[in-house]
Amino acid sequence: MATTTLEPRAAAYRRSWVIDWLTTVDHKKIGILYITNSFLFFFAAGILALVIRSELAVPGLQFVDQNTYNQAFTMHGTIMLFLFIIPALSGFANYIVPLQLGAPDMAFPRINALSFWLLPIGGLLIFSGYLFGGAAAEGWTGYAPLTQQGGVGTDLWIIGLTLVGTASILGAVNFIATIFKMRAPGMTLFRMPIFVWTVLVTAVLILLATPVLAAGLIALFIDRNYGGSFFDPSVGGNPVLWQHIFWFFGHPEVYIVILPAMGVVSEVLPVFSRKPLFGYRAFVFATIAIGLLSFSVWAHHMFTTGAVFLPFFSFMTALIAIPTGIKMFNWLATLWRGKLMLTTPMLFALGFLSMFLIGGISGVMLASPPIDFHLQDTYFVVAHLHYVFFGGSVFGVFAATYYWFPKMFGRKLNEPLGKVHFWIHFIGFNLAFFPMHQLGLSGMPRRVSDYGADTGWTILNFASTIGAFMIAVSIIPFLINVVATFINGEPAGDDPWEGNTLEWATTSPPPPYNFDTLPPIHSERPLFFLTHGHGHAAERPSDLEESAEDDVERREGPV
Amino acid sequence: MQRMAARFRRRNVLRAASLLLLISLVAGCMLPPEPKTDAGRDVFNLYIVVLVLAGIVFVAVEGFILYAVVRYRRQPGDDVLPQQLHGNTTVEIIWTIIPTVIVFILFGASMVALGAVEARAEEPGVTIEVEAVQWNWFFHYDGGPTVEPRGNEPPTLAVPVGEPVRLILSSRDVNHAFFVPEFLIKRDMIRYPDEQKRNELEFTVTEAGTYAGQCAEFCGTSHAEMVFTVEAMPREEFDAHLAALESGETPPPAAGECEQTIEIKANNTQFDIGEFEVPAETAFCIAFENQEDVPHNVSIYDGGTNLFEGEFLNQAGSITYNVPALPAGEYSFICDAHPQAMSGDVTVTE
Repeated sequence: MATTTLEPRAAAYRRSWVIDWLTTVDHKKIGILYITNSFLFFFAAGILALVIRSELAVPGLQFVDQNTYNQAFTMHGTIMLFLFIIPALSGFANYIVPLQLGAPDMAFPRINALSFWLLPIGGLLIFSGYLFGGAAAEGWTGYAPLTQQGGVGTDLWIIGLTLVGTASILGAVNFIATIFKMRAPGMTLFRMPIFVWTVLVTAVLILLATPVLAAGLIALFIDRNYGGSFFDPSVGGNPVLWQHIFWFFGHPEVYIVILPAMGVVSEVLPVFSRKPLFGYRAFVFATIAIGLLSFSVWAHHMFTTGAVFLPFFSFMTALIAIPTGIKMFNWLATLWRGKLMLTTPMLFALGFLSMFLIGGISGVMLASPPIDFHLQDTYFVVAHLHYVFFGGSVFGVFAATYYWFPKMFGRKLNEPLGKVHFWIHFIGFNLAFFPMHQLGLSGMPRRVSDYGADTGWTILNFASTIGAFMIAVSIIPFLINVVATFINGEPAGDDPWEGNTLEWATTSPPPPYNFDTLPPIHSERPLFFLTHGHGHAAERPSDLEESAEDDVERREGPV
Repeated sequence: MQRMAARFRRRNVLRAASLLLLISLVAGCMLPPEPKTDAGRDVFNLYIVVLVLAGIVFVAVEGFILYAVVRYRRQPGDDVLPQQLHGNTTVEIIWTIIPTVIVFILFGASMVALGAVEARAEEPGVTIEVEAVQWNWFFHYDGGPTVEPRGNEPPTLAVPVGEPVRLILSSRDVNHAFFVPEFLIKRDMIRYPDEQKRNELEFTVTEAGTYAGQCAEFCGTSHAEMVFTVEAMPREEFDAHLAALESGETPPPAAGECEQTIEIKANNTQFDIGEFEVPAETAFCIAFENQEDVPHNVSIYDGGTNLFEGEFLNQAGSITYNVPALPAGEYSFICDAHPQAMSGDVTVTE
């Protein structure tokens, strides 16, 4: 009887690459699927933004009717948050976290695949409203009882979001298990890269907050379709209850959006300053503090309802400024006396610092109830949220893209094109959103399809529209860069940036099992030690002792 | 060498001065409207304090980023590692304490201003129930007339200057919000299942004038058009204004004979007919049936001029309007609360 000899990595049968990608459970491929899917939804939601800005450029309804406009901003917000930013950061986390931990994959590879595939299904369900008489049009916050008046599009929005939320929760479980259980030997919790810490806290937030949204969505579905009386006042329900449920999820949600981006920035800044992250421990504790505090502030979205104990929520909201400030100072101190290399990922990381600062400042203003009474539901809030979501998280996504693209695809994106992308993007972003602060201060409400010619709001709106189109234009060099790099990019090698963390200790892209061997892990910068050794004074004497013990173990093997 | 150093210093002083000027120009543009209420002034002042603090933080941090990018730029070919600083406990404690102090100051100042905004007078000068519907406003003066929306004009809320005005806010349908930017205040209007529970807002206008107001809680299709006007005037004028409103109100329908009755029904914010025809110089009746619990009426307009104002049916019900004789011509009929969605043509023939 003939026997077959299987080679360790060879496929036993040929598979098409389509089937391979459709059925993969490899965290690296899933990460790329997440990121690609996210960018597709980014472009869709970006087009909706251009619809919004085109309509608002001058007074009068020129392009769409009121109902179409209301669908546009609802879908724009929903898609950007749930189908672009969070999945994009999730995708980078999926790819990078096991590598940074020295692990061969995520803890639950099949659940990982399921988490991904729920996303395009959920997203298409949400969009399919357009095919059934109109998409959801009640705002991404879906306030009751306005949602009672929505058509099928609103039901599809509810169902699609529930699926997307489920995907998030599954992913969170996966990350928590992976981070706690699959770190390489020597990697204590306080030697994990900062990116992994932010992903961990984010995963805990997702696990605790998203089920609340799911419960609210199901209750809303029952109200709309089965005569429920949770939120509909005409049958005894309470509209404010919806707001509490939604924002109890909604506020941790915004920290879910920003924390991984802060993690990315905390990886990029040290590498391109050639210094460690200043205050690593404080940063970890600040991240945990932000995570905890994020559950205590939700009602600051409800200051004007008259149904909220203002002093408590105002105080807790202001308090979040402290750990956030600590992080900002840590980043600045990382730059201080460093040797800065202004590569494209570094530019986006520095852009993050500048833009998130502005968003943070406007947030502290909104934390004051009397000021919020004037600014709530105006364009000031729209400015604030775009400075933190876009100036913060999206800049973080682009920093991650330029930083980790060489690891994922073995080629570096073109630097000059990257800089063109950054500058047009940065200028366009500020032109689009800075005027919105003044529009809100002067009283322009949000979610309006039009405004009067006598309000004096035309010039700032027009400027903002130009900025929005500049952002759209900036995507062109980015796309050209990606395509050209795939075709003919400069090979990157294992470690093109002189990185600090373990993902740079393997090939670009890594083999399916990630690592052949792992370097010894004595600090949060295992690769730094490997590259630069102890040639300069060790920071902590205990590092030297531990490394001596590890050396012994390596020589003599495990007992 | 001395001259170069002096020029360098002067140039930097000029740079710093122009940067400061630029910052104050930008900050100067970032102001709320000049407040026209007592409490609005307190909010404005608080905002200035916060803006100044924000400006300082902004300049310091952005300034440092720009400085670092220039000063610490890696020179080409420089492969020496910089000093690998991991932290500094003293510095980290200081920059934890300073934000904490700032936070407490901001919170304290906010609570003081909040007290001014939420203050309630013993005796308000006037109490008005403000009712929001999709997509218009009704103002019910306590013990006085009700102002209903008319045509495409935003309804006017008349208030006395210099006296506390208390508003009782409610909604007939979805969430709305009462917002007057020049008062630096807004409050949500929520329909609760317990009809007694309603939000209250109180302010004292300091200057007579006309102030724009708008709904500030997304409420559906025509949210952008849900505007109103506040007119603040001296007490005597205000009393005269209310008296004029009361006497001008539509009299109750007189029982009379109808030569011709036009039947119009309202449901789903729509009329069931788009046009009707009546003979000229002949009074006629409109049998109007409102089939839903949303305020509707029928009014007839010649362009912007009102020819007939029908009383509102705020809930499902029926009413017969006695419409006076009209001259021949082409006119339009609308529901005053929903002029966009509910309109039609009236042909008055010779």
